Amino acid sequence: MTLHIGQPQRRENARRHLAGRGRFVSDLALPRMLHAVFVRSPMAKGRILDIDTEAASLCPGVLRIFTAADLNPRCQPWVGTLDHFAGMQSPPMNILAEDEVLWAGHPVAMILAHSRAEAEDAADQVLVDIEDAEPVTGGAPVLLPGAPRANEAADSNLCYETLLETPDVDRAFAEAAHVVEAAFTFGRHTAVTLEPRAVVADYDPASGALTVHHGTQTPYQFQDVYARHFGLPEGKVRVIAPDVGGSFGMKLHVYNEEMGAVAASLILGRPVRYVADRLESFVSDIHARDHDVHGRMAVAADGTILAMEVDDLTRIGAVSAYPRTSAAEGNQVIRLMGAPYRMPDYRGKLSVAFQNKVQTSQYRAVGHPIACAVTEALVERAAEATGCDPFEIRARNLIADDAYPHVSATGYQFEKLSHQACLARLREMMDPDALRVEQAALRTRGIYRGFGIASFVEITNPGATFYGIGGARISAQDGAVVRMLPSGDIHCAISVTEQGQGTETIIAQVVADQLGVAPERVSVTTGDTATTPSGGANWACRGAGIGGETALRAGRQLRDRILTLAGALVQADPATLRLAGGAVVDAASGAPRIALEEIGRIATYRPDTLPHGVDHSLTVAHHFAPVGYPFDFTNGIQGSLVEVDTETGLVKLLKHWVVEDCGRIINPLLVDEQIRGGVVQGLGPAFFEECQYDVDGQLTNGSLADYLVPMAVEMPDIEIAHIETPTQDTILGAKGVGEAGTAAAGAAAMNAVNDALRPFGACLTQTPMTPLRILDALDAALKERTAP
Amino acid sequence: MKVLVNTKVNGTPVQEAVTPRSSLADFLRDDLGLTGTHLGCEMGACGACLVLLDGAPVHACLVLAVQAEGGTVETVEGLTETGAVADLQENFHDRNALQCGYCTSGMLMSAQALLARNAAPSRDEIRDALSGNYCRCTGYEAIVDAIAATGRARAAATESAQAASANTEAAE
Amino acid sequence: MKLEGEQFLDADPMTVWAALFDREVLAAAIPGCESLDQTSDTEFAAVVKLKVGPVSARFKGDVVLSDIVPGHSCTLSGKGSGGIAGFAKGAAQVTLTPEGAGVRLRYDADVAVGGKLAALGSRLIKSTAQKLTDAFFTNLSEILAVPETAGPV
Repeated sequence: MTLHIGQPQRRENARRHLAGRGRFVSDLALPRMLHAVFVRSPMAKGRILDIDTEAASLCPGVLRIFTAADLNPRCQPWVGTLDHFAGMQSPPMNILAEDEVLWAGHPVAMILAHSRAEAEDAADQVLVDIEDAEPVTGGAPVLLPGAPRANEAADSNLCYETLLETPDVDRAFAEAAHVVEAAFTFGRHTAVTLEPRAVVADYDPASGALTVHHGTQTPYQFQDVYARHFGLPEGKVRVIAPDVGGSFGMKLHVYNEEMGAVAASLILGRPVRYVADRLESFVSDIHARDHDVHGRMAVAADGTILAMEVDDLTRIGAVSAYPRTSAAEGNQVIRLMGAPYRMPDYRGKLSVAFQNKVQTSQYRAVGHPIACAVTEALVERAAEATGCDPFEIRARNLIADDAYPHVSATGYQFEKLSHQACLARLREMMDPDALRVEQAALRTRGIYRGFGIASFVEITNPGATFYGIGGARISAQDGAVVRMLPSGDIHCAISVTEQGQGTETIIAQVVADQLGVAPERVSVTTGDTATTPSGGANWACRGAGIGGETALRAGRQLRDRILTLAGALVQADPATLRLAGGAVVDAASGAPRIALEEIGRIATYRPDTLPHGVDHSLTVAHHFAPVGYPFDFTNGIQGSLVEVDTETGLVKLLKHWVVEDCGRIINPLLVDEQIRGGVVQGLGPAFFEECQYDVDGQLTNGSLADYLVPMAVEMPDIEIAHIETPTQDTILGAKGVGEAGTAAAGAAAMNAVNDALRPFGACLTQTPMTPLRILDALDAALKERTAP
Repeated sequence: MKVLVNTKVNGTPVQEAVTPRSSLADFLRDDLGLTGTHLGCEMGACGACLVLLDGAPVHACLVLAVQAEGGTVETVEGLTETGAVADLQENFHDRNALQCGYCTSGMLMSAQALLARNAAPSRDEIRDALSGNYCRCTGYEAIVDAIAATGRARAAATESAQAASANTEAAE
Repeated sequence: MKLEGEQFLDADPMTVWAALFDREVLAAAIPGCESLDQTSDTEFAAVVKLKVGPVSARFKGDVVLSDIVPGHSCTLSGKGSGGIAGFAKGAAQVTLTPEGAGVRLRYDADVAVGGKLAALGSRLIKSTAQKLTDAFFTNLSEILAVPETAGPV
C-alpha cells in the first residue's frame, strides 16, 4: 500500500521560511550572551613572538581576551587521521595557535565582548608580532626530500599516500592500440553557504550541562566531540541544530572557532556566540578539491577501454581535518576513476600533501567531480582517437544493465545500475544529431557551440566502512522514535537532519504510508540530541536511503502495535486488520473497525478499560544500519550545451540535462531540486569559483565581490529525467541523490567547452574555465598551429 | 553615543536609539527582532538582506539605520502580514523554490520589485533581475518558475479586472 | 608587488639626503604618521594609520636603512603589522641623481601584504600604495621647498 511515497509533496517547513520565520543559530540571542571575535594570523606561516592585548583589553564592552595559554588547556587537542588510512600522519590541533601559525587566518586570540562590534573594535587594537617564515604553497616539489615543511610538527609534507592497482595494468597499456593522456588541475573552492558557520555555546555551571546551538548537519557527532574533548559526560551535552542556512558537507568538520566558543562558555559560565563574517568564512571554512591529476587511458582499436592510470596529488592544509580527515576526498578520487565502465585494469596513485593554506576536506560530492572529469575527458580523447562519437564510445564501454552485480577495477561493488538506460534516455532528450547540424551551421557564422556528456557513479547510503572501521566516532546507523499521540496523530523523532533538502517531508511521507494516515498528520522532529535518537544525521547522502528505511521500519513496528491493541479492542485477529484512512480497517473488505483517535483515547486516558495484560504503549524506537552492500551506488549521466565567445573567452551555458537513477523516488519535487542545486554547485567551480592565493599564501579574493559564485543569470535551465532501480538491500529501495548533480556537471561542461573549441584545436584541462584560461588555450593552440 | 531614529517599520511607527554606525540590517534584526532579514556577505553582493525602504529594495547591510529616519521600511514579516506577497509565497512553495530558506526573504523582495515594474517578465528578465540574489541550494530554476507563474497570474488577474470594468462601462 | 617611480626635488642632493634621515621631516612627510621614533642611526619605529579599501588600520612597524652610499643611494626595508587588518612588508631601493639645480629621486620597491588587507583589498592595494608613495614625495618636496627660516626651530 503506497499512497504518499512517490508523490510531489510540498515541504511544510518551507512555509516558515517564506514568512521570514526561519530559526537559524545566527538569529539566536540568549540572556548574558557574549560575542566572540577571533584575531587571526595575517601570515601563512611563522612563529608567534608576542601578542599584545593590553590596549584591546581596555576597549569598551570587552569582557575577556584569551590566548592559547588560557584557552587551549581546557580542550583536548584533536588529530585528523583514520586508522584504515595506513601510514597517515597529521599533527594535533588545538583552538588557538600556540607557537606556530599555519595558515593566513589561523586564530591566535579570542575576544569576548558585549557585542560583535565592540569585540571587533578591540580586535583592531591587538598587536600580534609574528616572525614570518616562507610558507609552503606550491605543487609537487613540496614532497621532495628536504623540502621546507608546512608544519614543523609533521615529519614531512606527505600526509598520506596510497596505491591501487590490478595485476595486469601494465600489460593492458602495452597492448593498447591507443593511449590517451592529459594533465588536469582542479582549483580550490569553498562552500559559501549563505548562512555562515554559527554557534551559541551555553554552559550552565549550576547543572553542569552544556547546550550548544550549532548550525551543523551532524549534531550527534558534535555531542560526542564536545563531551570527549572537554571532558564532559555525554549525557550533559546537548547539541541543537535548528534551521541551518546551507551545509553541503562544510558544516560537519571540527573548527577552531566552535571549539573556542564552547571552551569560553565553559570558562565564563555564560552563553558565547560566534558567527563567522564572510571573510572569516573564506579563511576558516574548509576548502575543497585542489588536485593535480595526471591521467592515461588505454584503448583498443575498436574503442574498448582497457585500463586507466592516474596519479593524483592533492594539497590540503597544514593539518588534516577532524574527524573525517582531509584524505577521504583523494581516496574517493582514485577509487571512482572509470567507475561507470567495464574497464578491467587500473592503477591509481594518491599523494596528499600539507601546505600553509586553509584545510581542505569533504564537501558535496567528495572526490566525485575530479574522478568524473578526468575519466570523461579521457573518454572523449579515446573517442577522438578511435573515431567514435561520444554516445557510441560510452554505449560500447558502460557496464551493461544486465551485467550486475559488478565489481569495478578499483574494488567497488555495484548491486545494480542503469548506465545504458540512462545513456539512451539522454540521447532522446538531447538529440545529438540535431545539435551537430546546428553546431556546423553556426560555426560558419563564427558562433562556436559545443556539447559534452559525462556518465557518473555516486556513493550513497554508506555503512561503517566509511569512517567507523577507521576508528572515527561517526555513526553509520540512524534511529527513529515513532509514536501515536492520543489524538491519533503521529510523531516521528529521527536522527537524520534537515537543511532544506526536505528530510522532514520525506520522513513524514514514509511514516504516513506505514500507518495509513495523511502526511499532514505526521509531525517530524530533527536536529536535537536531547529529543531525537542518535545517528549519523546528514552526510554522504543517507537521509532518504538510511533515514527513510529507519522511519519505514519504525513505522511498521508501530503499525503492528496499533493492530495488536486494536485486535484486543475490537476482538479480532490482528492479522485480519490493517491501517487505512486514519483508522483500523478490515484487511479484506476495508470496512472501518476503529479510528486511530479512539485507540489513542482509550490507550491514553482509559487504559483501565483494556483487557488485563494488553500492552498499550504506542511508542516504538528503531535503529537501522545499512546491511548487504557497503554502499548503495547510484548512477546517471549529464549533458551540457555551451556557447563560447572566442573573442572574450566568455561561456554561455545554454542548457543542461540530467538522467539520474537514485532508486525509489520518495518525492520527485524534492529530488529534482536536489539535482538542480547540485548541478549548479558543480558548474560554479567549473567556470567561476576559485580560492586564489598569492605566493605568500595569502588568499586574495576573500569576499563575494571577488570570489565568484554562480548566479541566476549565468545558469541554464536544467532538464531532468529518471530511471528507477531500487536497491534490494532495503524495503524502501531508496538511494541518495544529494551529490549526483555536483558529481558530473563540471565534467559534462568541460567536455562541452572543448567540443566548442575543437575547430581551433584548443583544449582545457583546468578548472575553473575562466575567460582568461579559455583565451590562453586558444592562444596556445594558435601558436601550435602556426609554429614552423 | 546613540541617536534617535524615527521610522515606520511594517506599518508601525518606531522610535529607537541606535549607534550611528548601526546598519539597517542590524537595527532590524537585533533591535526590532525582525530576523527574517538575513546577513550573508555584509557588502551588498548576496541579496539576503534586501528590504523595501520607501518602496524600493535596498541592501539593509549597506544602509545605516539612521538613513531610515522619516522613511518607511518593509521586511518579509510585514509583507507576509499584509498579504502583499502571498501569491509569490504560494508559488515558491508549490515549486519548492527554496531549500535552506536563508536567501528567500531577499528573493521575495527582488521578485516583488521586478513584478512591480514588469508585469510579465521573460525567464531571461527574471534571471537578470535576480543577478544580485545568491542562492546556494536550488539551482535557481524553481525560483524563476515561481516568479514567472506569479507574473502570469497577476497579469491575468489585472486583465480580467480590466475586462470586467470594460464590461461594466459597456453596460452603462 | 612592484612599485616604482621618480620625483624631481628642487634641492641639492645632500639636503635631500639629510631630509631622508631626519625624523621630523619623515614624520611630516609620511601620510597618516602618528608617531616616529628613531631607535638608532639607521632604524625607526613608526605608527601609521592607513585605509586601504574597506580596511583601515593602525600599523606599527620598523624601518631599517641599509646599503648606504651617502648622498647617493640606500635601501629602506620595513615590516608593519596592522593587527587584525594584516601586515605589510617590503624593501625600497632609493637613488638620488643630481639634475640641474636639484636632484631626481628614484625608487624601486617590492611590497607584500597579508591578512585582511590581502583578502579584501588586493584590487586596491597597488593603487593605494602608489597614492601613498606619491603623497610622501609630494609632502617631502613641499617641505624642502619651504625657506630655511620657516623650518622647524
